Amino acid sequence: MSNLISYKDISISLSGRLILSIDQLAIPFRQCTLLTGRNGSGKTTLLKIMSGLLKPDSAHIAYQGLNLSWRQAKPYIQKDIIYLHQQPYLFDSTVFNNIAYGLYRNGENKTSVHKKVNQALEWANLSHLAHQPANSLSGGEKQRVALTRARILSQSLLLLDEPTASMDSESKQQTSLLLQRLNAEGLTIIISSHESHTVSHLIDRHLHLENGRMTEINNASQNNKVTPFKTTKNTLTNE
Amino acid sequence: MKKAFLLFIFPFLYSFSVQANDALRLATTTSTENTGLLATLIPAFSLETGIKVDIIAVGTGKALELARRGDADIVMVHARQAEDIFVARGFGVNRRDLMENDFILVGPSSDPALIRGQNNSLAALKKIEESQAIFISRGDNSGTHKKELSLWKHADLKPAAHWYKEVGQSMGKALLMANELSAYTLTDRGTWLAYQDKLSLQLLSEGGVSLKNPYGIIAVNPAIHPNIQYRKAMSLIAWLTAPVGQQLIGSFKRDGHQLFYPTAIKDTVLNE
Amino acid sequence: MNDLNQATINAFQLLLSGNSGIWEIISLSFSVSLSAILIASPFALIIAFFLAFFQFPGRRILISVFNTFMSVPAVIIGLALYLLLSRSGPFGDLQLLFTSKAMIIGQILLSFPLLVAMAHASFQAADRRAWETAITLGAKPYRAFFTLAHEVRFGLIAAVVAGFGRVIAEIGCSMMVGGNILHATRNIPTAIALETSKGEFSHGIALGIVLLVLALGLNAGVSMVQGKGGLHS
Repeated sequence: MSNLISYKDISISLSGRLILSIDQLAIPFRQCTLLTGRNGSGKTTLLKIMSGLLKPDSAHIAYQGLNLSWRQAKPYIQKDIIYLHQQPYLFDSTVFNNIAYGLYRNGENKTSVHKKVNQALEWANLSHLAHQPANSLSGGEKQRVALTRARILSQSLLLLDEPTASMDSESKQQTSLLLQRLNAEGLTIIISSHESHTVSHLIDRHLHLENGRMTEINNASQNNKVTPFKTTKNTLTNE
Repeated sequence: MKKAFLLFIFPFLYSFSVQANDALRLATTTSTENTGLLATLIPAFSLETGIKVDIIAVGTGKALELARRGDADIVMVHARQAEDIFVARGFGVNRRDLMENDFILVGPSSDPALIRGQNNSLAALKKIEESQAIFISRGDNSGTHKKELSLWKHADLKPAAHWYKEVGQSMGKALLMANELSAYTLTDRGTWLAYQDKLSLQLLSEGGVSLKNPYGIIAVNPAIHPNIQYRKAMSLIAWLTAPVGQQLIGSFKRDGHQLFYPTAIKDTVLNE
Repeated sequence: MNDLNQATINAFQLLLSGNSGIWEIISLSFSVSLSAILIASPFALIIAFFLAFFQFPGRRILISVFNTFMSVPAVIIGLALYLLLSRSGPFGDLQLLFTSKAMIIGQILLSFPLLVAMAHASFQAADRRAWETAITLGAKPYRAFFTLAHEVRFGLIAAVVAGFGRVIAEIGCSMMVGGNILHATRNIPTAIALETSKGEFSHGIALGIVLLVLALGLNAGVSMVQGKGGLHS
């Protein structure tokens, strides 16, 4: 069983209009998937359903050996899958507190939290910003804080909604570098984007959404990823 | 724009013009207003003299204060001592006795202090004090409150807080509170008659000279407040203390009870 | 004019001399109104949050009910409560009428719609991403609620302060169900009404000054809090 999680029969309509109808979506371990589609094609909706934040009309989920309805799976996927908004939301506090947020919610003690947060800040090269108010950061810095905040929880699946949209090229560079390192550390990542070139070197698989339906694009030129850590690599249909 | 502005200020101008009318301002106690006495007297007076009267019904303390400041032209209250001081200090002139009614002690039908039928008010208060039954005091410097305080003083008693409740409200409210708390209270007979039906309290003690409640009427001194309507004030005093006014007071009834006894003309037999 | 000056000077003398009667009234006012707000706020905030963040049948009706009740005059609340607590009313046996507890209940009823409506507006204006971010980072819904409340804390503080401002200065309900009993249920507004009716304007002004200083202090306090942050404090 090489899939981290797989979704079946996802469908959702809003005021009578079908937004999404996806028969099968499997997410293999450690892969980095690119999800493309025009604005309004349902990318955000899909990612929110996948992470348990948005209730679909229907969806079945195979996760950790269990076959669950979306409602049954909701508590697990809310906890284990991290969704990052296009413009990540940082809480009205310091960078340090933002990164520590999830750890405190897990009930870790103060010493351990401090140690982990400081390590994570170093990892992301953000130590100098630790005690800045999060709201004073630039867009690129916010994105890096949000990624660090996600990484520190050591969850296995990260869903990113247009992570590099409206960023300058240097921030795009830094973000994609961080994403590469996260993927190399073993994190499974799904990136939605309407432009693929910034992150193309990370991509194992390319999915495309159009009119609420999903197709897999098997484009050899995009599949130029070189990562020594990858053990499973299956860019074709999984299962 | 200009039109809108005029429309906007018109109500103000209008209200000023109304303010500037020359109605006689009578400051009086709530008891005369609540019983409906003034609603009988004043229209008759206005009809006969053409003088319009604005009634400001407040507690005795406030009524005298309004008059002292020249915010009223004439004052009708029931607190003899305060009235005499008011006149002595030159704030008012031509004080006349107008009428009187009396105070009574009311309380719960269970009568824990056993004052039923007691016609010596001081003895009744003493029993209330001994039984520590709840007693509601107006506590608002009204004529009734002043009367109550002077009764405690004459009885040589000092009521204690845990059973003696100063409520600082009008007579009607104080009666309602006494009803809710099964408490005793001192009330003027007029308000009692007006509220009786709504209460499960009973009239327990009445009579005795010390419970007389005389009303006086005083014109504000025009030497202090030149703008007050002294002539109209004197007209009202004259009218109320003349046989016609006194007769009206004596014949005013509520639920078949006479509430006020005219006193301006001492040696007549108006009361009969 | 002289009268006003004299009354104001007397008022300050009263306050500064530590006139125990006046300070007793002030402390009663505060303890009643603070209790009311402390009891009402948590429930009001939770309801406001549900109204802002969840869809459920009757939600819109509930919102307009709270908005409507916001403008119900205090005397009407007082009258309703009076009839309920009166000896001949359904809760007469509790013997709450003319006690400070009745005043607290009245002030809770009075502040509740205001608290809900203002807190609802704050939560409504909150960034939905805050909620989703908290949930996706593993916060249980109740923790996410506190996180969200922290994000909109200035609006919530303003709601609580406004609620307190409404009840501390409220007279109709306190007079009705408290009864203005000296040493027991006489608070600042009912005392002002009484002193004014007695012609004791200095007392009225002294208590008015307290309310004014309070309003100033609360406003200063709110703007001071707005300068500070801290997610885990």
